[in-house]
Amino acid sequence: MEEQMAKIDLSKISHTYNPLDPKPTYALNPFSMTWENGKRYAILGPSGCGKTTMLNIVSGLVRPSKGEILFDETPVTDLKTEDRNIAQVFQFPVIYNTMTVYDNLAFPLRCREFTKEKIEERVKEVSDTLNLSSFLNSPARKLTADQKQLISLGRGLVREDVAAVLMDEPLTVIDPDLKFRLRRNLKEINEQYKTTLVYVTHDQNEAMTFAENIIVMDQGEIVQVGLPKDLFEKPKTTFVGYFIGSPAMNIFHSTVSSDHEVKINDTTIKTNSNLGNLKDKNVKLGIRSEFIELAEKEKSNTVKIKLTRVEDFGNFKLLTGKMGDLVIKSKVEREKPIPDGELNLYFPPEKCCVYSDEKLV
Amino acid sequence: MSKLYTFLKYFFITFWTVFVVAPFLWAVSTSFKDFQSVNSKVTYIPWLDFEPTLEGWRVLIKSPAKGGVDIVEPYFNSIFVTCTASLISIFLGTLAAYALSRFTFKAGFVRNNDITFFFISQRIMPPIVLSIPFFIFLSTIGLLDSLLGLVVVYIVLLMPIAVWIMVDFFNRVPKELDETALIDGCNPYQAFYKVVLPNSIPGLIVAGMFCIIFGWIDFFFAFILTFTEVQLLPVKVVALNSSITPWWSLSASALVSVAPLIIVAFIVERYLSKGNLSGALK
Repeated sequence: MEEQMAKIDLSKISHTYNPLDPKPTYALNPFSMTWENGKRYAILGPSGCGKTTMLNIVSGLVRPSKGEILFDETPVTDLKTEDRNIAQVFQFPVIYNTMTVYDNLAFPLRCREFTKEKIEERVKEVSDTLNLSSFLNSPARKLTADQKQLISLGRGLVREDVAAVLMDEPLTVIDPDLKFRLRRNLKEINEQYKTTLVYVTHDQNEAMTFAENIIVMDQGEIVQVGLPKDLFEKPKTTFVGYFIGSPAMNIFHSTVSSDHEVKINDTTIKTNSNLGNLKDKNVKLGIRSEFIELAEKEKSNTVKIKLTRVEDFGNFKLLTGKMGDLVIKSKVEREKPIPDGELNLYFPPEKCCVYSDEKLV
Repeated sequence: MSKLYTFLKYFFITFWTVFVVAPFLWAVSTSFKDFQSVNSKVTYIPWLDFEPTLEGWRVLIKSPAKGGVDIVEPYFNSIFVTCTASLISIFLGTLAAYALSRFTFKAGFVRNNDITFFFISQRIMPPIVLSIPFFIFLSTIGLLDSLLGLVVVYIVLLMPIAVWIMVDFFNRVPKELDETALIDGCNPYQAFYKVVLPNSIPGLIVAGMFCIIFGWIDFFFAFILTFTEVQLLPVKVVALNSSITPWWSLSASALVSVAPLIIVAFIVERYLSKGNLSGALK
């Protein structure tokens, strides 16, 4: 079979749903991006941030207001959906009710006039992967919601030659155990067939465990593209800090006091950021609750807090405390003894992120 | 409480059954009576109360020359006009409904809903308003008093029903179904007839049923737009009446007139009871 997987370039793409408006609101602000062949991407962001619009632009269901899409350097912006060779799986199961499970899975191959033998071989392979083999002859409408979603997924995976498989929160209706297994299967499929997988989700754990590259979006804007580790340790904006991680990143209003130091209330915190240009400016200091350590006594880079709550999550404890008006959360090992009343928390300088105008310095 | 409820339920069902079935039983029994049995004392049971005769039924197939009324030709005319107009209406109406459901039309202040309402408004308008324009139109194109002319008029009358029902039906078919078909490699036409249409068969059946019923029972246009060449069944049945009402042949003709609708109702009822009409897409 001809190899058709492709590198996908999105060049200066932007989109508005009301182009005739004198002041149109953009669902997607101008951006450029490349999806390398055979990689796994996750698009992460809150509802309504433009994730689905981006997928629909790639699959051709939506024509971008501006910009160009290229598959392997060939422009496809004006190509119709059916000619783009993209597979897309929607959030809720979309199945052909009047067909059997087998016919559902075979449909994309039949539309593209594959041979009967090839169709049989592919349907068998995909149905084995998705545990659908015993239902092949059942009418698709009689299956449960999660089985129906497996059919949708199967139709996306049945073609080996697709440029990319786009998945729009495909595992929402699937129970957690199966979800975990399917994510692993998708990874295996990606590794085995080198199919580019693009996975839209608002669940950060799903994105972190699935993807090699994560694209974080907010209000039609791409705010950060990177490895899960980068997003966690060095969020480029305060939004990414809030959005990624549970609990969200601790973010405090502060003032720059010297080249590497900021002041929160009256406590000076040393950071590794170069703040020479921002002297006396108001900035924000961000630090993950995972990186804050319990200190036995007051020393440099510690803050004194009044403990207000201790939550036991089984594998860790989450401490919530107050320093004046500021609320600070810290994750500590479960076994660690927690003194009552006042605590000293140590902020490692290398883990402190400083944000000016919501952007990482 | 539950006993009272059960009693009331069965009482109401029995009452309703009698209410619906009694006129049919009356028509069946009357169709086998002669002048004497109808006009003398009240009778119910054949052979015991009155001597049954097939005269009422025979009149329907006897030629007028032999004193009959011959409803066979009007019967087939009605079948032809109703079926042809219904099929064409469903075909055109389904395409129009799909377009109205899936694409956005803008022309001045006119939007999709206005277009749909325009179709429905054709049914809201009193038929009398349309009678003169139809008459002039058919006489201009030389189709007055012809089956083809009636088919044209009935398409105009039935298509709004098809559009109305199918727009509502297509609106309930998720757009993602079409989009999935496009992604799977269908062109928009294939997506329509391979995927959307098979999922809309229940809607087509309901629309078809309404078209057949409204086409079959129309008297007004069949009466106004035909004279001597062509007659449809409702006109012929009414024409049976004379100074002495022939209850026996009227009853027989009423029974043969409703027979096709009863058959249609039975077929659709089977679909309804199988749950095929509801929840086609979930």
